[in-house]
Amino acid sequence: MSDLNIEKAKINYNAVWILAKRELLSFWRNKSRVISSLVQGLLFLFVFGIGIGLSFNPIIQGIYVDPRAFAGSGIAAMVILFTGIFGGMAIFRDKMFGFMKELLVAPVSRRTLMLGRTVGVALQTMLQVLIIIGLSVAIGYFGNDLNLIWRVLLIIPVAFLASLGIVGIGLTISTRLRDMQSFGLIQTFIVMPMMWLSGALIPLPIQITMYNPFTYSVDLFRFVLLGVSYFPFWLDLLISGSFGALLILIGARSFNKMEISQ
Amino acid sequence: MTENIIEVKNLTKIYEEGNVLAVDDISFTIKKGEIFALLGPNGAGKTTTISILATLLSSTEGKALVNNYDVDKDSDKVRKSIGIVFQEPSVDGDMKAWENLELHAILYGMLKRERQEKINEVLKLVDLEDRANTFVKNYSGGMKRRLEIARGLLHEPKVLFLDEPTLGLDPQTRRKIWDKIKELNKSESKITILITTHYMDEADELADRICIMDHGKIIAMDTSENLKKQLSGDVIDIQLEEIKERFKIPRIINQVKEIPGVKNVSLGTSEGNQPMMPNIQIPKGMPNISPEMIQARIRETLSDPKKLIMAWKKMPMTTAMFLNAPLPMKKQIAEMFDEKLLEEVPDNIREELIKVKKGELEETEVDSINSISISCENGGKQLPMIIQKIGENGLKIKTVNMHQPTLEDVFLHYVGTSIREENSNHTKGIKKMIQMRQLRK
Repeated sequence: MSDLNIEKAKINYNAVWILAKRELLSFWRNKSRVISSLVQGLLFLFVFGIGIGLSFNPIIQGIYVDPRAFAGSGIAAMVILFTGIFGGMAIFRDKMFGFMKELLVAPVSRRTLMLGRTVGVALQTMLQVLIIIGLSVAIGYFGNDLNLIWRVLLIIPVAFLASLGIVGIGLTISTRLRDMQSFGLIQTFIVMPMMWLSGALIPLPIQITMYNPFTYSVDLFRFVLLGVSYFPFWLDLLISGSFGALLILIGARSFNKMEISQ
Repeated sequence: MTENIIEVKNLTKIYEEGNVLAVDDISFTIKKGEIFALLGPNGAGKTTTISILATLLSSTEGKALVNNYDVDKDSDKVRKSIGIVFQEPSVDGDMKAWENLELHAILYGMLKRERQEKINEVLKLVDLEDRANTFVKNYSGGMKRRLEIARGLLHEPKVLFLDEPTLGLDPQTRRKIWDKIKELNKSESKITILITTHYMDEADELADRICIMDHGKIIAMDTSENLKKQLSGDVIDIQLEEIKERFKIPRIINQVKEIPGVKNVSLGTSEGNQPMMPNIQIPKGMPNISPEMIQARIRETLSDPKKLIMAWKKMPMTTAMFLNAPLPMKKQIAEMFDEKLLEEVPDNIREELIKVKKGELEETEVDSINSISISCENGGKQLPMIIQKIGENGLKIKTVNMHQPTLEDVFLHYVGTSIREENSNHTKGIKKMIQMRQLRK
């Protein structure tokens, strides 16, 4: 396809901000989405929090972990996966409804557009994570240690970092997607394997989970929230960070190549 | 500084996948303050041209300057110089009108105070200031269009691109949008407008100059007046009194064609495309049967319900012929069918027949196509002769209307033949269109 001479390094931060704001606004206005994520979160927390406790005792690096805290942190990380990928894929909706053309014809670099969208979805994902953590704290899954406040505050940047790579996946897919039907495929072949093979809900042997980049984000969540993790935290940070950077780059590339539909 | 705000030279666009030649070596210039229309049927290459000028597509060959900036090299400056209203809606329905405009203003680097003033100004211009805080998804099609025009004007572009601005809008809304467009062009800033359309009346009404495109090529470019002048002669529309013996019409057409100066005769008037009388054409390769023979067969079939049922069942064309037939004819046919016979009739026709029997159908203008359109040199001189020919055949004339050719006549003159060609190998044309659509995505 053609190169359109729009890969300019300059980033218009006002534009990034307004695009991110648009994302957050649409999240806030879509009340059904907020409510459904609340209800779904509660259901997951309830089932896994109790279920895990009844079936086995999660042990990380030889340390016994409260099954409810194990479930709470895993589910909070899992939310990133769902919100991030489908948030990134909202670009597809813009493509379908023509708004993408308005964005692409504007005198801003595609990098700006891409960044705006990524930041917007990442912030939105962060909010969702906070909702889940808030819920689990409210029902006492994490105990009532005062340290918890610091842990929850620390999870905010971690959630942001972890969501970058996931949003990148969503962006990459949606710029190449041509129809809505493929959504199911993505659910089956990307979201589900990444979720179940990460040990977020049910602990799996490290030999299986270590090949899944999302595992390290989940692990980072556990490290921050519970203080214990399968991998050293610096490895978690390193892999989550580079995975995020890589996917954002790939996403930016396919975004640059995208041509406008009529 | 040149007077021209848009210069296009030898522009060519090939969609590589599928080797579709969408724009084929076109050149034109648009002067400052002009309203310029690209007119052409679907798939003529209008949208591709406008997309290249708007830096949304790159050209395969050739050069295009907008506001003296090259669209390939200075795309950012070109983008700031243009406002664009796309063919399909491109506003975000989940945001309020104001927010849509604000986002646009920020993307175009407008400062806060300037932004607010300007948004109010353009909203007022398109009469949407009281709906600024409505979610755009609750707007009607016309309001969305107006909002898009407002958005296109927000950053004070030098050129406004309008891609089919009134597609799918009702007549009043179209009229309103036309007025807005004219107003814009007349105001002090005198914005240049490039409009693509396939509506003749739209181009005629708005454009200073019209460029007719087809198959990616420019086939004519001039003012509306001059284009019309190229079609010399007059158009005569004749409305006939109700005709009972419809088969006489082809004979009249043949006779009228022989009158010196007559160039073309067709059924229906040139104003409005009324559905044609069953226009019987003998497929190629059939043995030479005289029209009289065919008409005799049709009359025979029409007088025998059993044969009619047979025809409806075996020849799909006859179903359409019946459904399009004038009401008196339908009545005549309906009288031949009793309850028992009706059961054998195909469903869609039975419904129609029952309606006719109950008298539910009312005769409308469209039902009675009894007019012919003649294009002719020196119409005034030949008119008596034409009328005489019609009189000789025992038909009565209701009205005669002679006028100068309209833009539609011009358009059909240039593009008409190729459309007909595409009809004959319809699938090929559609294939090409589908190909182009997919490639644009």
